Amino acid sequence: MRDLPPPRPTSMPEAPAFPRDSRYRQPRRWVSWWGLLLGLVIGVGGGLFYAWNLAPVVETDTLPRQLNDDSKRSYTVAIALDYRFTSDLNMAIQRLSELYPDRDPIQEMAVVACDLARSGYIDNSSGLRAVQTLKTFYQLQGRTGCADTLIPDAQVGPLEVTVVVPTATHTPPPPPSKTPTPFVQPSDTPAGVVIVPTTRPRRAYEGRIVDTYCDTELTGMIEVFVQDYNGQGIAGEPIRVRWEGGQSDFISGLKTERGAAYADFQMTAGIGYVVEMPGFSDPLPNSLVADSCFTESGAQAIKSFRVVFTPTG
Amino acid sequence: MTRFFLSAVVGVAVGLLIGLFLGWQISPVEYRNSPIKALSEAYKDEYTRLVAGGYLADGDLSGAVERLRVLGVPNIPQYVQDMAERYISNSRDLKDIRYLVALSEGLGRLTPLMENFRQYSRPPQTTPTPQGTPNA
Repeated sequence: MRDLPPPRPTSMPEAPAFPRDSRYRQPRRWVSWWGLLLGLVIGVGGGLFYAWNLAPVVETDTLPRQLNDDSKRSYTVAIALDYRFTSDLNMAIQRLSELYPDRDPIQEMAVVACDLARSGYIDNSSGLRAVQTLKTFYQLQGRTGCADTLIPDAQVGPLEVTVVVPTATHTPPPPPSKTPTPFVQPSDTPAGVVIVPTTRPRRAYEGRIVDTYCDTELTGMIEVFVQDYNGQGIAGEPIRVRWEGGQSDFISGLKTERGAAYADFQMTAGIGYVVEMPGFSDPLPNSLVADSCFTESGAQAIKSFRVVFTPTG
Repeated sequence: MTRFFLSAVVGVAVGLLIGLFLGWQISPVEYRNSPIKALSEAYKDEYTRLVAGGYLADGDLSGAVERLRVLGVPNIPQYVQDMAERYISNSRDLKDIRYLVALSEGLGRLTPLMENFRQYSRPPQTTPTPQGTPNA
């Protein structure tokens, strides 16, 4: 009898396709931790880049200590000038400490005075007086700086130092001596004016006479207009008119009905005037002489001028 | 793969929010070289008040205007006038009001509201008496 193969079982035991502990057998999580981590890194980096570089917080509440050097100098000058009027030392030092929180505030004032004394800031009398005020402040507190030697103690005048030799001097002949000497005529030294210019100022504007007119209502006027590149008026600009023996400072924009650019000055007949923006322009090359003139109707008046200052460059 | 991308997108979104919060709130950019025109309003007021005090000290109107110019305001006399009137309206320190009124008056802007606060006479100008007169 032939051996028959064993009968097939009616049901085969189910063999697992993978081992029971295989990760493919575990239920899938809804999140990929690696993907989430990568996204977070990219997101935080991108967010910081956007917040710090592309759209940083708008700068509206700056503190004095965050100012740049130029602005800190301006603030320091204002503190010193205010102290000169109020004599409130505690308040002045408190304000300086807000500017220079991690340094000696009074010594910083000496440093500022030194910087300004080395710059064009002292080219005009306002700047010079301000630096002298700084100097007085820190010297009274026992500090020193380079301005001590750069800036004289005495009040120094404006841009031009005018030395007037007051009267002609008379040189008498020498007294008689035993030795006969030739007769010497007395000589006169002529009176004179010596003008010693200081450093040339900054020139942000240049001025020119654009018109002259003769009008009985606006007689002897210098009308000054300060304009920007686009011809728009600029208010608050300093203007100086000088004449022999005097000068007057005023600013543009005070007559609002005439616009921000406008300022004017009433001349006196027969006198020549020089117009400039102190510290910002050279004087006009020609003086403005208040000569007599006649209107079209034949009335007599004093010649008037229109002067325009515009930025250079 | 879809699961990875979805997670990354969620991560980027959450990360962006975290980054913006850190960059704008917790550790915002702090400027170190700001111009004076960026000062907070309170310090701009204080600076202007200091300039007014300086004007009373030396009577240098041009210098005061020059110092205020760095604030970048378009019309300095108007700015000083507005500030003086605001100080009056808000009942600020009387001394500060008087300083500002003096400067505003020096700039030709003495308004009726300021009349009662005139205490400091206009300081002497640093320039000699003119033979002509500016009409400003």
